[in-house]
Amino acid sequence: MEDSLGFINDLLAASIRLAAPLMLAGAGGLFTERVGIFNIGIEGTMLAGAMAAIWGSLVTGNILMATLIAMLIGVLFSVLHAYLTITRRADQIVAGAAINLFALGATNLLNTPLYASFKYRPRVDLYPILAPESLQEIPILGPILFAQPVIVWVAFVLPFILAWVLYRTTWGLNVRAVGDHPQAVATAGISVIRLKYTGVIISGLSAGLGGAALAMADLGLFAPNMTAGRGFAVLAAFVVGKWNPIYVAAACIMFGAADAFQLRAQTLGFAIPYQVFVMLPYLLTIAALAGLVGRTVAPKTIGKLYDPETI
Amino acid sequence: MVNEGDLALRMIGINKQFPGVLANDNINFELKAGEVHGLLGENGAGKTTLMNVLYGLHQPDSGEIYINGQKAEIASPKDANDLGIGMVHQHFMLVDNLTALENVVLGIPPERPPLLDLEPARARFEELVEEYDLGLDPNTPVWQLPVGDQQWLEIIKILFRETRILILDEPTAVLAPSQAMHLFRSVRRFAEEGNAIIFISHKLEEMKEVADWVTVLRDGHVVDTVDAGTAQPSQLAQMMVGRSVFLDRRERPPMDSKNEVLVIDQLNCLNDRGTPALRNLSLKVHTGEIVGVAGVDGNGQRELAECISGLRQPTSGIIHISDQLVSNVIRDTTLLGFIPEDRRKTGLVLGFTVAENLTLKTFGKTPYTKRGIIQWGLIREHANALIKDYDIRTPHSMVTTHHLSGGNQQRVVVARELSGEPALLVTCQPTRGLDIGSVEAVHKVLLRERNRGAAVLFISTELPEVMALSDRIIVMYKGEIMGELEAESADVNLIGELMLGHREASKVAVGGAG
Amino acid sequence: MKERKNVFLPIIGELVLTGGRPILAVVLALTVGAFLIIAYGKNPVEAYAAMLEGAVGSRAAIANTGVRTAPLLLGGLAVAFGFKAGLLNVGVEGQIYAGGAAAAAIGITPLPVPSWLHVTLAVIAGFIGGVLWGVIPTLLKAYRGISEIVITLMLNYVGIHFASLLIHEPSPLAKIDAFYPQSPNILPSARLPVLIKGTSLHAGLIIGLILAVIIHLALRYTPFGFRTRMTGQNPEAARYAGINVKKQIIIVLLLSAGLGGLVGTGEVLGLKWALYDFFAVGLGYDGIAVALMANSNPLAVILTAFFFGALRAGAGKMQVAVGIETPISQVVQALAVLFVIAIGFGERVRRTRLERGQEPEQEAVAHGG
Repeated sequence: MEDSLGFINDLLAASIRLAAPLMLAGAGGLFTERVGIFNIGIEGTMLAGAMAAIWGSLVTGNILMATLIAMLIGVLFSVLHAYLTITRRADQIVAGAAINLFALGATNLLNTPLYASFKYRPRVDLYPILAPESLQEIPILGPILFAQPVIVWVAFVLPFILAWVLYRTTWGLNVRAVGDHPQAVATAGISVIRLKYTGVIISGLSAGLGGAALAMADLGLFAPNMTAGRGFAVLAAFVVGKWNPIYVAAACIMFGAADAFQLRAQTLGFAIPYQVFVMLPYLLTIAALAGLVGRTVAPKTIGKLYDPETI
Repeated sequence: MVNEGDLALRMIGINKQFPGVLANDNINFELKAGEVHGLLGENGAGKTTLMNVLYGLHQPDSGEIYINGQKAEIASPKDANDLGIGMVHQHFMLVDNLTALENVVLGIPPERPPLLDLEPARARFEELVEEYDLGLDPNTPVWQLPVGDQQWLEIIKILFRETRILILDEPTAVLAPSQAMHLFRSVRRFAEEGNAIIFISHKLEEMKEVADWVTVLRDGHVVDTVDAGTAQPSQLAQMMVGRSVFLDRRERPPMDSKNEVLVIDQLNCLNDRGTPALRNLSLKVHTGEIVGVAGVDGNGQRELAECISGLRQPTSGIIHISDQLVSNVIRDTTLLGFIPEDRRKTGLVLGFTVAENLTLKTFGKTPYTKRGIIQWGLIREHANALIKDYDIRTPHSMVTTHHLSGGNQQRVVVARELSGEPALLVTCQPTRGLDIGSVEAVHKVLLRERNRGAAVLFISTELPEVMALSDRIIVMYKGEIMGELEAESADVNLIGELMLGHREASKVAVGGAG
Repeated sequence: MKERKNVFLPIIGELVLTGGRPILAVVLALTVGAFLIIAYGKNPVEAYAAMLEGAVGSRAAIANTGVRTAPLLLGGLAVAFGFKAGLLNVGVEGQIYAGGAAAAAIGITPLPVPSWLHVTLAVIAGFIGGVLWGVIPTLLKAYRGISEIVITLMLNYVGIHFASLLIHEPSPLAKIDAFYPQSPNILPSARLPVLIKGTSLHAGLIIGLILAVIIHLALRYTPFGFRTRMTGQNPEAARYAGINVKKQIIIVLLLSAGLGGLVGTGEVLGLKWALYDFFAVGLGYDGIAVALMANSNPLAVILTAFFFGALRAGAGKMQVAVGIETPISQVVQALAVLFVIAIGFGERVRRTRLERGQEPEQEAVAHGG
């Protein structure tokens, strides 16, 4: 009885911890698709953000600075993506793939110099756990919330803030409109280009933040290709979460749980191969896409080129 | 404070040139507060361009605009909105996944930024719905609204802003007659409140029903402005089609046109929006005759051509070409030659060479393909022959087609479609965007085909060329044939009236057809 | 609508531009690479010379380059072929694993047939494996109108992990008591022949070269190729010319997926001689890069695949000689792609969409040029 409770607590804690980078990248990431731009470069941006966070921490020793540097890198990458796809009118998938290639190569290359001045790779400071021990002991709520580093709290709060922005502000209304029908927004006198750029940049900020969480929530190190496809899992979360920040966060938690489960399944020798749990979120997304009855909910013009001349 | 009778709008000396065409030629236009003013004209007359200038979508090359006596610079729709000008476009500017209320509020600066407060807007929305007697629920997502309601939503959007000058571009295109009447009542009410409305339409009844004044545009300039109540249909028609550019009627040998090549029986079909485009249309075209289809663009001509060529499935009705039933896309170039409206989009693959474009439909058949391999030598030979025959100006057949001029590109399409000596030739706006020389060439070719014995269906919005080339003329309006006339003796003003949907004229025309 | 008096200049101009842009991008990428090398405190001339030597400077080097070129060539062909019809096959990552697994299944099974037949069957199996992996998104797209991009991206990961599942016990495809998870070794009778004795250079490269020529010939000289090119350049005009665009797209997508499967087949039957976990990370996206730089021309793909293969092969020598680590080749490759996009090459890549029940509409305008 003790054991199973302990197992559940441990599983819950791990689920949330693993989900946090996804939740952070996903909350703002969906804004790029909302304005009609596919950004598959989120994967590379997260990776670059993770390295930037570690570097920032090694150089400044300040975890907040490190986080901000990660977010700045996220902005830079996303501005590049926005420039290539909106202004240079390149294909969005190709541009995103190129950015991923670049991020992978650059982080692989910089991996050694990053730690060059150290004999053994140091672990940088992690995000602190702020709640007192007593709260951490509470079953269920403890492992989910209180025993988590502060960045996880941010991961919980951010979706709500961004949901408020999306559904309760006029700017959010414009965002929800432009991905579906940019001409309608243009004739209403609003700048479509500016909206698109902003949406992509928000996804960059988010991805950078997610990368920082990946690096500094629990690990404190950079490892080559440490995102390992999380950026694509985020894309899946958009679909399952119907581009709503709160549902997307919920989808991310589900993916985190699957991840936590498959890690444990590897060592516990379940009858079901652990790979099934790894594949589950992706299969779920495909099923969601295939099983959607009636209208598709995706922003209508996602992936399409916006031509300001056509009214 | 604007009084009844004040000039709400003055447009002076508006000029707008597009490449190759003077869309607005020194146009003066005046609009009083409380007035409903109709803008009438054929395609290309300049109505939409003028309104786009007013709404800030285009900048005029010269000319001035005064709103309520004040000079105005309108550089964008936002400026236009700020000045109280609102426009309802032909294509809906609605966001499907947002609610009706959200669509209306889009672009309106909030009371307390950045918050989106729908409540004050909701109250006003319901007020307007009440006032204009609509059945609109502000919370319905737009994709669930029927087309007529969507049109109303566009209008409510306008009413929400402090609109003093309202531009409606063909607003009844998707409305049923009763809905249209409802719209007219509301338009009148809106005018009574001291606002001004500009109403673009090519439908005669509408003009007379709702407008106070009608301004007729032709070839980019204003013909005249008349009182809508007292204007005669023939008068309006004459102003609209006029005789500004007169093409000489072409000499032609009389042909024995007994055999029916194209037989259309009770054809009905829908357009892309799902509304009826053709209504119980029946038509016959015989060997050795050119049947010209006149009409304002958007009355089903395109859908007719698509049904005949098999590109569009009708909802009912039968089409035969040379006794063969049309059911799929026709690839047989001995049966049908089809010169589509937009050569760049549907007639040619611009990235292909001239030779490839000349064999776009025949590449897979013998002799151009033997045992599965394309015979490029033969294709080039064939292409060179066609280049010579049709006078296509290109150094050789392996040039990429997008380097050719518009006229030569059209010649490629024509050459390809005619090389099989088809029994039926259907052409849609074949001379659009061409220089005089190329227009001449196309006309010569059409006549040559007719003299060879082909049946030619010539669809064009350019009335002068329809009159010059056709043996018989039919006029389409709202998917129906309004009337049929012998081209030799046709009265252009009568045609104009038919184009405007004047039912009385229709009776004359049908009775008079030989 | 200007009258073009001299039509030759634009043609030559077009050729120069089409060939010139990727070359310019490569030059720019190498230049930035040179600056990076300087930042490391090394001599770029020395570094690039070492890279050149590592790529083509010896028999072993050429073999190494060839080994790396093979999957890039096949992947590039898969993507380029799709591009020709206006489609972006972003699922090569998954098709690699599906193809590799299928090829492995035949390759580890003893068959009572001569060796050449065993290899051929295994290769065909690999192709079919790729095709099967492409079927799901293609059909979902054609008949349910669902965007194939996300589904394909998801299937990539499903493919990778499914292959992983297959080589972990107790799967029938797993090697018993292996040191790390793998399939049983490919039987010698099913392995792709080695081209240069003593090296890893295998016949997968030859398969790629042959396929490049075949694809080029097919596009130029068969009605199928004509239809494909028409669909890619202007699907509306293709429809007006009576082509069943939907059918064309389905066939091309499936063939492209099959080519993707061949990438994995080559690696499994030729290089690794077993199916391993994560044996081909990133090759699918590399294929996109290769195809893009070649403007989807199958013969040019040979050149760009070779270039990127040489970069990768040479990087090892560069590390040994000058101390710059191998990921520099990835960085240069990525920069070349980014530059080529920025210069305006992948600009407006045509992508044909199949909406439910409707005819395909173009997303954007002309390809390249």
